[in-house]
Amino acid sequence: MSGRLTDADGRERVEFTFEGDAVSAYAGDTIAMALWAAQAAALRRSSSAGEPRGVLCNMGVCYECLVTVDGHNVRSCMTVVRAGMVVERGGRQ
Amino acid sequence: MSDLVIDADVGVVGAGPGGMAAATRLAAAGLSVAVLDEAPRAGGQIYRQPPVGASASVGIPEPPSHDQGHALIHEFERARLLSVHGATVWDARPGRLWFEHEGRSRLLRCERIVLSPGAYDRCIPFPGWTLPGVVTAGALQVMVRGFGVVPGQRALVAGSGPLLLPTVTALLGAGVEVVAALEASSRWRALRAAPGVIGNAARRREAVWYMKQLWRHGARLQWGWTVFACEGDGRVQRAIIGKVDADGRPRRGTARTIEVDVVGAGFGLVPSIELGLRLGARSRYRPERGGYCLVVDEEQRTAEPTVFAAGEICGVGGAEVAAAEGAVCASAILGELDGRAAAPEVLRAARAERRAADTMLRAFAPLPGLNELARPDTLVCRCEDVTRKQAQQAAEVHGDSMRAIKMGCRAGMGPCQARICGPSLQAMATGQNARVMDRPVVQVPLKAVRADTIRNAPEAC
Repeated sequence: MSGRLTDADGRERVEFTFEGDAVSAYAGDTIAMALWAAQAAALRRSSSAGEPRGVLCNMGVCYECLVTVDGHNVRSCMTVVRAGMVVERGGRQ
Repeated sequence: MSDLVIDADVGVVGAGPGGMAAATRLAAAGLSVAVLDEAPRAGGQIYRQPPVGASASVGIPEPPSHDQGHALIHEFERARLLSVHGATVWDARPGRLWFEHEGRSRLLRCERIVLSPGAYDRCIPFPGWTLPGVVTAGALQVMVRGFGVVPGQRALVAGSGPLLLPTVTALLGAGVEVVAALEASSRWRALRAAPGVIGNAARRREAVWYMKQLWRHGARLQWGWTVFACEGDGRVQRAIIGKVDADGRPRRGTARTIEVDVVGAGFGLVPSIELGLRLGARSRYRPERGGYCLVVDEEQRTAEPTVFAAGEICGVGGAEVAAAEGAVCASAILGELDGRAAAPEVLRAARAERRAADTMLRAFAPLPGLNELARPDTLVCRCEDVTRKQAQQAAEVHGDSMRAIKMGCRAGMGPCQARICGPSLQAMATGQNARVMDRPVVQVPLKAVRADTIRNAPEAC
């Protein structure tokens, strides 16, 4: 289980969807951190085995947290959430 | 000219302590400076700032060294310079840095370049390291300090080196139960770090602060222990931990299982040198500094005379080293313009910081025996799903060079471009744990960017 430190919420809420489910984030969150706080750890399926993968480095190096936004693959740890963003799991579907 | 192309006297890559120190000084001297940084705000990973609009701090106690970070950020953000954030540099030539920014393909043209791109966590493959919830030590720090996200309820921290301490204290500060904090080096080996700590006032203060934090929470480091494996259904639920011998080899009969919901593993750092190699810098293998590091002269100049480098790219050393070497880069560039050498006191300060860091980090150089944690069916390359056995077969059939292994099994050819598996891939494939790795080969794009970014690059490279 994860969540937020109480002091972190001086920011506006931003709503987006992941795999069709509504997710509530804070402005300035990356997709990866908003999803982690929302308990969604599996962000993509691996290339050949199709195993679930999630955040590894959290700083844009490993590409394990790839998701799809508007048809583009993006690193969810480096992409800040926008209201109404439609985020899908990355990799093999 | 469109805003896709920026012109500056000096282009700086990275807004961590090294880049900030260099850029602030160069701008103060009246040069036009443009800084490219991949993160949303200045600070680098070590002094990472929370998002704009969030409380200034997430309420986690900070070590004394962070005063330097606040001072650097304060000066940097008030300096007359251009700082571009969310910029991913994907190709470079002397005087040119191509980068993707907000989905657009842009170019920075400059007379000189200062590289301070930092480092990233060294990963060592072990069974279950691909499970969601198993992350690097650095990832946990970003989570807590950068975003105020509580990583879980019960954490395991395992790895080696001084960065385990800020990871553990960040978790404790966030109210996470740290079930175990495991340092693979033995207490005796770690004692070799002592002269680098005792001989340096700032590092001494830092060490005392961390000891107090651990003591306050009743936490302790277990020396000579590490993570053997992680298990769980769809995400990590258990970790198997145990003792290792002096070389890092797992010791039979010492394994025990703990229940956890998050694991942070960090076996030191790997310098991010790709950009330097692309620009013509030379590199050298220095295990105590994290592997291949750029070779620089005493003014931080690389083999390409218009390119300077500061901080982790010259070998892992920490924020104090980076800031001191950033100051050297600035002094050297300003000196060149005035036809004189860099200021001797600035060079002396950087040398002293580097010496202290080298002494400390030698005690945490990667333990070769940790490569035996991976079993034949353990994935070594996470991008291409390549197991250790497949990498071994590739080495047997095609040869034991990095290139042959990559060609033979596709390990290291995915989007991370071998940044994650590279440091241990050759040892995994050949079983020669202590061998000196082949120098990494740089491929353009240096980081995966959109095809349009490459197609639309200004002044196509």
